[in-house]
Amino acid sequence: MTTTSANKLEITLPSDREIQMERVFAAPRDLVWQAHTEAEKLAKWWGRGNKVDIERFEAERGGHWRFVEHHDGGSDGFEGRFREVTPTERLVQSFEWDGMPAHVCINTSIFEDLGDGRTRIVATSLFHTTEERDGMLESGMEGGLSESYAALDHLLASLTR
Amino acid sequence: MTTDTLSPTFAALADPTRRAILARLAGGEATVTELAKPFDMSMPAISKHLKVLERAGLITRGRDKQRRPCRIDAARLKDVSDWVEHYRKIWEERFDRLDDYLQDLQKEQKKHGKNGRDKRDKKGNQP
Repeated sequence: MTTTSANKLEITLPSDREIQMERVFAAPRDLVWQAHTEAEKLAKWWGRGNKVDIERFEAERGGHWRFVEHHDGGSDGFEGRFREVTPTERLVQSFEWDGMPAHVCINTSIFEDLGDGRTRIVATSLFHTTEERDGMLESGMEGGLSESYAALDHLLASLTR
Repeated sequence: MTTDTLSPTFAALADPTRRAILARLAGGEATVTELAKPFDMSMPAISKHLKVLERAGLITRGRDKQRRPCRIDAARLKDVSDWVEHYRKIWEERFDRLDDYLQDLQKEQKKHGKNGRDKRDKKGNQP
């Protein structure tokens, strides 16, 4: 992993249906917000290097969004609606994968201005059921799960920090 | 996926005391008395937590009737760990891209003043 401690991804499990991720970015909050709410900017990073077609993107309360991510094994569609769009601060949207239609999780992203040109993102996924929590992971899964016990250390470290 | 086995594990892990107990057990087996020490809790309260952990398959108890030492069961924890690691992988990759892209955007803005956003990069932005 190339991340330094300054921009390390922290993962916690706040409850049995939630997973929360935190990371600090060396960029002002306005820019981080734009990268999440302007379709052409979002397409540049969301696909993790895979091509993403943004078929619909209405970043306003009630607005729809739909992405199709293309990879070697084919493509995966994702879509949802915006529940809350509070400029530069908070984005709440539903998220579902075509592979599990109408199984919805709620993603909340909070953007914290750290006051020194950096921004912290706290992103939480809340699953409706534990089955959905487990099933959602099958989306975009290329390759098997890590077999390394290092992963276990990682989990324990993040759970007890 | 191992939905049926994963759920009680997650529920057991949702409690901070139980996570602290697991963290302690990751360093080696311990008795109930030893585990109760760092917590401001009665032995029955700790025993209750241990029962939840045992039922979730996260720990095993020794046969020795006097001590019944607790030991972490890595296999079940590994299922959760694999799940979390998969999530981590996706989001680390995604956020690494975002990080790179935000740096590019800031460089572009500096180069072109505040109009930098209007410049189109014809070659595409392959990082």
